[in-house]
Amino acid sequence: MFLQHLADGILSGAIVSLGAIGLSFTMKMLRFANFSHSELLTWGAYAALVFLSFFSTFGGFFDQTIGPFSFGLPLLFAMACACITTSLIAMFLHLYVFDRLSRSAGHMTMVFASFGVALVLRHLVTLIWGSDPIYYSNELQFAILLPGGVRVMPDQVFLFGLTIFTVIFLHLFMTRTRTGIAMRGVAESPSLAQVSGVNVNAIILWVWIIGASGAAMGGVLYGMTIQLRPELGFSLILPLFAAAILGGAGSLYGAVLGGLIVGLSENLSVMIIPTTYKPAVPFLLILLILFIRPDGIFGERKR
Amino acid sequence: MLKKLSLAALSVAAMSLGTGALASDCTIKLGAVLPVSGPMGQVGERIANTGQFAVDQFNEAGGVKGCKVEYVLRDTQGQSTVGVDAAKSLVDLEGVQALIGAVSSGVSLPILTSVAVPSKITQVSCCSSSESFTALAEEGKTDGFWFRTYATNRSQSAMGAYLTTKSGFKNTAVIYVNTDFGVGLAKRFEQDIAKLGGSISTMVAYNESQQSYRAEVTKALQGNPDSLFLVAFPVDGATITREWLALGGTDNLIVNNSLRSDDYFQAVGSKYLQNLQGYDSAQPRLPSVASFNEMFEARFDGPPNGPGLHSVYDAVSVVLLAMEASGDITGTNIRDNIRAVTSPDGVEVVVGPEGFKKAKELLAAGKTIRYVGATGALSFDKNGDVQAPKMTWKLDGDKNVETGYMSTAEVAELIEKLDN
Repeated sequence: MFLQHLADGILSGAIVSLGAIGLSFTMKMLRFANFSHSELLTWGAYAALVFLSFFSTFGGFFDQTIGPFSFGLPLLFAMACACITTSLIAMFLHLYVFDRLSRSAGHMTMVFASFGVALVLRHLVTLIWGSDPIYYSNELQFAILLPGGVRVMPDQVFLFGLTIFTVIFLHLFMTRTRTGIAMRGVAESPSLAQVSGVNVNAIILWVWIIGASGAAMGGVLYGMTIQLRPELGFSLILPLFAAAILGGAGSLYGAVLGGLIVGLSENLSVMIIPTTYKPAVPFLLILLILFIRPDGIFGERKR
Repeated sequence: MLKKLSLAALSVAAMSLGTGALASDCTIKLGAVLPVSGPMGQVGERIANTGQFAVDQFNEAGGVKGCKVEYVLRDTQGQSTVGVDAAKSLVDLEGVQALIGAVSSGVSLPILTSVAVPSKITQVSCCSSSESFTALAEEGKTDGFWFRTYATNRSQSAMGAYLTTKSGFKNTAVIYVNTDFGVGLAKRFEQDIAKLGGSISTMVAYNESQQSYRAEVTKALQGNPDSLFLVAFPVDGATITREWLALGGTDNLIVNNSLRSDDYFQAVGSKYLQNLQGYDSAQPRLPSVASFNEMFEARFDGPPNGPGLHSVYDAVSVVLLAMEASGDITGTNIRDNIRAVTSPDGVEVVVGPEGFKKAKELLAAGKTIRYVGATGALSFDKNGDVQAPKMTWKLDGDKNVETGYMSTAEVAELIEKLDN
């Protein structure tokens, strides 16, 4: 059973990782804890639902599922469109809420504003799509048996592969492209970056796009392997923050590793403690990391 | 002091009687503590009105011992503190000897322990289903003053265990919601299934509204169970069932009555639930139930749909019949005579003014009676609990079909077998 819990932990951790990347970036570069970030996962998942039904209407070629997976091309297209939609929402929020507030208001105001935005976003989802759970596909996907008695669903394998691909892609983006390097510069010091000729505002928009796209992908993958409901993001908020804090704000690998640690510790914990205490595990992790290494595993010590 | 107060209350009542045009010149008070306002106000008000309806019908039949019954209703607002105050004032100031209520177990319980038992007042609830009362009665802390006309949660685990073993399952996993309700039910199920020859592989509790239940499901899959007893509510229940089936769990599912819901069937997909079985409460199929329904419709211009209506009618009726059977009308006498009017070997009497009239005649002649009420023939066990009929169901395609019916007596027999 250990192997099964290990597999479950890695797979659920992968979703947390995708969401935590954006949260970690915004925390570092925009310098506030964005509690509405988790709602971007919800919006990504629901946006994909809309595009999915749009693409599915084409029928024919689009109706077929790919190999052992429960989905076909429409969902992949829908996921891409959901990334764009969610990025637009994030940029809208940045321009009309967070950017405006950040000019005059204090740090705590930003945090509370993000709480407010989260509430609005979540309830808009309920208003539009209702509170009942929805599935991309009502077909049930059965798990395949891997060596060692581990059962995973094909969709989860896809999820894991896509997460790895995204992380490698982001790594290359951050280290090889001008925008990526400028982004790291802004993270270090916005004013220094600005004197060096970096367009800080443009970079910040890029941060939102990356963060929101990661969140949208996380949301779609969540919806694909579990279900869509309006509290999708809200229920992930604690794991997301635990992962971001664990990894250290602003660190790509920190967020990924943080997500995996959160997923693993949640799933492995049930081998020792009753399942009902599982939701408390991320809390304990946050406490632990704040005691031992307040800047996170990959975080830099404050000077 | 108490005597003086009740004398004062009586004289006030007597004065008010002087102005009204009433048949009898004495009154007997029946107290009711029900949530007519607050979060359960809508339900509570209908229950309260149905209680009044029973009192009116009894008065039509001549009242208790020739005296008019006055129904003194107090609001609990669904809160235990308000409920206890209301019950206290009914007992101390109005001098009632019997209380009807309350609705929530959380309100009924403090009323029972801090008002009814210390003051030796009979309390009959229409709606409280918690097993805490049974436990309290077992410990001897109710002194027999507690009765309810609504079946307890006890029968749920019994039905679950019955269905599981009847289907020949030997090794059952249990996943249950981590609330008072779920924990209580699962623990009972564990005891019940052992008595019926089944066994439990694992018991796993889950917290409501979680993102995913993979860890719980994985844990429950240990020990290769041949069936799953699921105690859940539709939304989380669907998540759990999907993950359970996807991870290779058996589709031999036994579920509690909350999952008899189209939301649940659709979310999981009916085609995966063809081996699902469940149980639920059923209305008894008796003429007395039908005649209550008719009388109710005539009075309220609508069918008695809603929780607690049948059971409050019976709660009031048995108390009034017990008063009729008592010498002096005291809480203790009412308590003792409730069994005399619901005696299994008594002469059957039915609902309505005619039934009450007949009951009064029989009682006057010194006979024992058996009240067959709006919820069927009531039979209180030693803890003051009653049983209700149950039905079992399954899915056939998309359709929810009944697979069996167990009468009150059969349910009681099953529980008797499990408890001994």
